[in-house]
Amino acid sequence: MIQIDYHTQRLSLRFFLLMLILFGFQVLFGLLIAVQHVDPRLLSGILNFNILRAEHTNLGILWILSGFIGTILFVGPLLSRRELAAPGLIRFLFWALLAVTLWNVATQSLAAQGIAGWWLGQPWLQEGLEYLEAGRAADVVIFVGFAILAWVVLRTFPARRDWNEIHWGLAIGVTALTFVWLFGVFFIERLDLQEYFRWYVVHYWVEGVWEVIHISLVGFLLVLMFKADVKAVGYAVFWGVALVWLSGLIGNAHHYFWIGTPEFWQFWGSLFSALEPLPLVFCFWHIYLDAHQDRRPLANAPAFYFILGSVVLEQVGAGILGFTMTFALTNVWSHGTWVTPSHAHLALFGTFGMLGIAAAYYAIPLLRGVKDFDQRLGRIAFWLVFAGMLGIAFAFAIGGTIQVFLYRAMGLSWFGGQIFPAMQFYKVLVPVFGLIFLAGAGLLIYDLLTLGLRARNASRPRAVFRAADPGRWRRTLHGTEAGLWLAGMWIFGAFITLGLLSFNLDAVAQGDPTIPYVLAGLGYPGLLLITLLFVWRFLASLEARPAPGPAPADFGQSADQAVRA
Amino acid sequence: MSCLNGTDCRETAKRRTALAVLALMLAIFLLLSAWSFLPSRGQTVPDDIQYGGTGAVEGKRVFQAYNCMGCHTIVGNGAYFGPDLTRIHADAGAAWLAAFLPSAGGWPTSAAVRVQLQNPAAREDAGTVGLAAYLQRYPGAAERLDRRGGQHTLMPNLPLSAHEVTALIAFLKYTSALHTEGWPPKPREDRRMPAGLAGHTQAVGNGAASGQAAATAPSVPATATADAQAQDPVARGRQLVSDLGCVACHASDQKRTVGPGWGGVAGHEVRLTDGTTVTADEAYLVRSIRQPDAQIVADYPPHVMPSYDALIDEADMKAIVAYLRSL
Repeated sequence: MIQIDYHTQRLSLRFFLLMLILFGFQVLFGLLIAVQHVDPRLLSGILNFNILRAEHTNLGILWILSGFIGTILFVGPLLSRRELAAPGLIRFLFWALLAVTLWNVATQSLAAQGIAGWWLGQPWLQEGLEYLEAGRAADVVIFVGFAILAWVVLRTFPARRDWNEIHWGLAIGVTALTFVWLFGVFFIERLDLQEYFRWYVVHYWVEGVWEVIHISLVGFLLVLMFKADVKAVGYAVFWGVALVWLSGLIGNAHHYFWIGTPEFWQFWGSLFSALEPLPLVFCFWHIYLDAHQDRRPLANAPAFYFILGSVVLEQVGAGILGFTMTFALTNVWSHGTWVTPSHAHLALFGTFGMLGIAAAYYAIPLLRGVKDFDQRLGRIAFWLVFAGMLGIAFAFAIGGTIQVFLYRAMGLSWFGGQIFPAMQFYKVLVPVFGLIFLAGAGLLIYDLLTLGLRARNASRPRAVFRAADPGRWRRTLHGTEAGLWLAGMWIFGAFITLGLLSFNLDAVAQGDPTIPYVLAGLGYPGLLLITLLFVWRFLASLEARPAPGPAPADFGQSADQAVRA
Repeated sequence: MSCLNGTDCRETAKRRTALAVLALMLAIFLLLSAWSFLPSRGQTVPDDIQYGGTGAVEGKRVFQAYNCMGCHTIVGNGAYFGPDLTRIHADAGAAWLAAFLPSAGGWPTSAAVRVQLQNPAAREDAGTVGLAAYLQRYPGAAERLDRRGGQHTLMPNLPLSAHEVTALIAFLKYTSALHTEGWPPKPREDRRMPAGLAGHTQAVGNGAASGQAAATAPSVPATATADAQAQDPVARGRQLVSDLGCVACHASDQKRTVGPGWGGVAGHEVRLTDGTTVTADEAYLVRSIRQPDAQIVADYPPHVMPSYDALIDEADMKAIVAYLRSL
């Protein structure tokens, strides 16, 4: 029986389970709105698109946060060598999170009647701003929840002089999570000022605070999984976090191009946000290094699959796809089109969603005392959601490119009824890939919910690859090769960027879409395929590592040994 | 702090430098931010914009309360289900918006816009009185009437009150007045539409466009052509209620859309908001079209239906009543 080092780590389990349930519902809402895009009359007047979309985005944020909390609670005692502070508060936090989620799901439907619950000038029931649809009542509860999390973390952590970079990263992360949220809790009369502050929450969360938490948690999970050197990981955490803020603080201005704020933001935003991929390259490099510092086989494949997926999709979805839209000269075209959700879906689920799932795959077997679980389900689920999300991003991206040409460049009107039909093939592709994604999501939710509880014998000997010659695809991945794959991804990213830039050309503006269509047609499929192949290559090379002996590697060793202060 | 080698570590100094640079960036960012919203920048503020006696801020509250951003983009942010709304007031004007918003499930006809131009707020905002002048000033309205007038939209009907409609128009007037650095980019004048796509005046996949712009027929409903005189009055009435845009709010069965359904109304009892019950005779039907606020059906809000008194002559009115009686 695997022993969990600290019994309060068990408090993380409920957050992982909640995460999985909310994820399932979120995907279903996503499928529904994808189908509404194909046929806008579906449920029109009964369950309007805007309400379902708010459910989809809000549940997405909430399940990711639940995953963060679960992971932080699981690693907190390991980092602090003691039990979590205030377990009663943590239990309260769980119920508060559940309650506010259900409350928000219910109150969003009031938008159909235009009921915001205005009182003292604030919308208490729902507020109808993208990503910040939750009403003030929910906002207050969420703030209290973050404050509880921050308090528990800071009380659990050792004295500050004993902190390493991971402690700092998480401490800053949970504190900033709480305070950055406050920028979204006011009704602002000016639209430009409202957008200015709304992007404080959205950008400084996903491209700031959440990345800090992500870097710290991935760093620590790599220490646990690969016995990576804490000092080396700590170095990476500091510089990763520093680069995130050095680029992203002013880089927030890539949201200030066309919203009524002055033109000088075009310069500052384009310049600094173009640097935002740098920390992501750094992290990408580090996952390569940490997974290759020895030749031990993968003890927990699904956990590592999702961590690798998280770091790679952070590079591709957030870094590369974000890069293509980050310049004023490309953004002027892509702003307000489907090119945006292409990046958003791949980046948000890819980076933060996959982290929560990875942590669940790491923690739940330990929490349920399962020594050897059937890892096949997790692996298959990974490929399904990975390929599914790449496909969804592809469909949004190509549909969006068509939309940029017809709606922005040619100025065809929405009500003219020509834009939707031109995009129709890609509108259908989104739910098609969505179904693949749903299959994977369903599989991993089932797997994790029932892990260790399933009737048949838990132990399954892991397939150990012992072939003498693993073949070219499965041979060890060396740094140069990894670098080449990364360069390849960026080359396709350059195609996409040039494609968006080409909308500025006279020939295109006068009605010839060949250049942008060819560049997008090469860039997007190329980027997504090379990403798929790279992850396959990386994982194949790890899976091909020979086992040390007859007994499977024990991945449940006390993490105490791994954490050297 | 960790040092990799432990000896002669300049790592701490490097980290301090990084944090100092970060502090400098914060200062720059805050300065630029403060500068962005100074009055001297001359950006339009919502307090400066009114429509129909209502301020733009109130409209922003309505915009949020209905979560419009959940389907539309505004300054390019939001959802991509409906079009961007930043410039719709500059494009189509207040009268068109006032005709559209109460019954967003249907595209307004020219008659519906003309009816709204009777409203002094709309007239003042547009600076015009007649439909022709209005359509001249707002080519977006002309295009919408021409290509889609009378057809279904893909937007659901929303239970907007008259006051909410006015407030929303004020908000959209404000967003139209915002300086957005030339976004969205203006399509080039010398562009050629790609081959295979419908040309400028064709609609795709929806059958014949039924709304006629009637830009040059100021006082007569669009289809009052000579051959209509010879039509059976019920058929003529059916044509008129479509052209005048009545069907945008009323169903021909008993279903409630924006206004009451017409099915089975004529000749039967109707309960009014003041608690009394009247018979829907011809006088009642005519009054409900010419002075809609005189007798409102129970559970329906006042001031939503505009008066069609100026638009419908006696002959047409008789045809409409004949049609209503047939339902």
